[in-house]
Amino acid sequence: MKLFGKRLFRPRSIWIRKIVQWFFFLLIALISVNHTLVENGGGIPFLSTASLHALCPFGGVVTIYQYATVGTFVQKIHESAFVLMIIGFVLAFLFGPVFCGWVCPLGTVQEWVAKLGHKFFKRKYNHFIPAKLDSVLRYARYIVLAWVVYVTATSGTLIFAEYDPYFALFNFWSTEVAIGGLIILGATLVLSLFIERPWCKYACPYGAVLGITNLFRVFQIKRAESTCKADGACSIMCPMNIAVDTVKTVRDHQCISCLECTSEAICPVAKTVVFTTGAVK
Amino acid sequence: MNLTSKPLAAIILIILLGGISLSTAMGWWQTESTKVAATYTEGEFAGQANPADIRGSYTFGDVEKNFGIPAVVLAQAFNIQTENPATFAAKELETIYAESEFEVGTASVRLFVAFYNGLPIDISTDMYLPQNAADLLKNRNLTAEQSAYLESHTVPNPAAASDSPEVDPAQTAESAPEAEATQSAVTTEASTERLVKGKTSFQEILDWGVSQEVIEQIMGMPMPNPLTKVKDYCAEKGLDFETIKAALQIEVDKAGQ
Ligand code: SF4
Repeated sequence: MKLFGKRLFRPRSIWIRKIVQWFFFLLIALISVNHTLVENGGGIPFLSTASLHALCPFGGVVTIYQYATVGTFVQKIHESAFVLMIIGFVLAFLFGPVFCGWVCPLGTVQEWVAKLGHKFFKRKYNHFIPAKLDSVLRYARYIVLAWVVYVTATSGTLIFAEYDPYFALFNFWSTEVAIGGLIILGATLVLSLFIERPWCKYACPYGAVLGITNLFRVFQIKRAESTCKADGACSIMCPMNIAVDTVKTVRDHQCISCLECTSEAICPVAKTVVFTTGAVK
Repeated sequence: MNLTSKPLAAIILIILLGGISLSTAMGWWQTESTKVAATYTEGEFAGQANPADIRGSYTFGDVEKNFGIPAVVLAQAFNIQTENPATFAAKELETIYAESEFEVGTASVRLFVAFYNGLPIDISTDMYLPQNAADLLKNRNLTAEQSAYLESHTVPNPAAASDSPEVDPAQTAESAPEAEATQSAVTTEASTERLVKGKTSFQEILDWGVSQEVIEQIMGMPMPNPLTKVKDYCAEKGLDFETIKAALQIEVDKAGQ
């Protein structure tokens, strides 16, 4: 795709994903700005004025316990977060964590910073952490998940909002933002210069939940061994460092269904790495 | 079945935006609190509204509706100088008490409401009340433990509000009915003055019994933040304030009959 004669995306990339990411980034950014404007007596007509908490599917996840036991939502969480949680689960059951790879604006921002990292460090980018240590650290997000669910259930308040970089990203101008969230957001952006999607890989509790669906989702990333040239392009391209070229089916809990490893993008052989429900040879 | 990026993008958008549209149509898409406090689930107070569920977005009017404490009493307790205490949101306390050594905010409102109405509240954490609130509570039926807690968790009234009228605890705090009397005095004063003026906010019009639907019909557009002044909003949207004012006044008068 070209604009003013300049190529917007690298050839054979999943450019439509970038457009979808931009769309959701702008939508959430505008709604957040509108929320602030409305609180100050202004506002953009015809645009939602919801708070970010109302638009976060993870809010639905953390409130499940309180909803099941008391019948109410955790403070700041509303029905909309529950609806989004269900939609997120439906999408993940079918396609894996597409919410992370296609929708989440925090993931998008990390990818934008990653472009700089790629420029600075070339092939070294995204390969700074020793593989063994990295594979252990990847489970840290389940510890974060357990902690968030526990503190929310016991306190009935959205304690994670104090540390949430996603909330900080779209509220850094408001008085509602917590210093903890800003610090974690800053750290995430700096780390993104070295590692692709550090927040998603090591800390995101929502990614942890959705990642479980990679074990049983309907559409899976599959590699046809019969036609594979074993050039490793798919693994090099994978933002989540998944060794796609060593497996027949990607079941790694970190896959975000970005499709960058597929034959539609980096894989040079047609119909070799595919997103499919069926079997490949 | 194989799927490529473009159909996947379309499916994601359809499921996400379609799901939101469907839930909106079914009335499930709520992005704001219904402002009905959760109730105690067990014990002597089961079924009663629980002050622990008061949120920062609750206005003193919402607290009044849930707990029966007049907004005017809450305004006195927290030294809020406003013509319309019902529209004051609990979370705004943090800004007003920004200079205070200890935080006075939504948790303080929860504490005040619980002590005022004799409801149980967890006091294992630190919550602070301004002097006026403590004075009001002194004549309520507090336990020895609550009195001691209050003693050690009182902060001075904010400097900006030091010229606020002194609260006479005997007048407002002896019993809720008396507090209601204070409220009705204020309401009566307001009701004789139900005039849409330059400084009238949408919230006041709502409080005077005109529904949001009717206001939006008159304005011909969605109503903004209720705290917005009608005149400011008319100026911003290029509407003739005099015309809108007259139409609103008719509805206010109708609602007051
Ligand atoms: S395995 Fe493929 S689809 Fe999954 S994250 Fe890596 S590149 Fe994206």
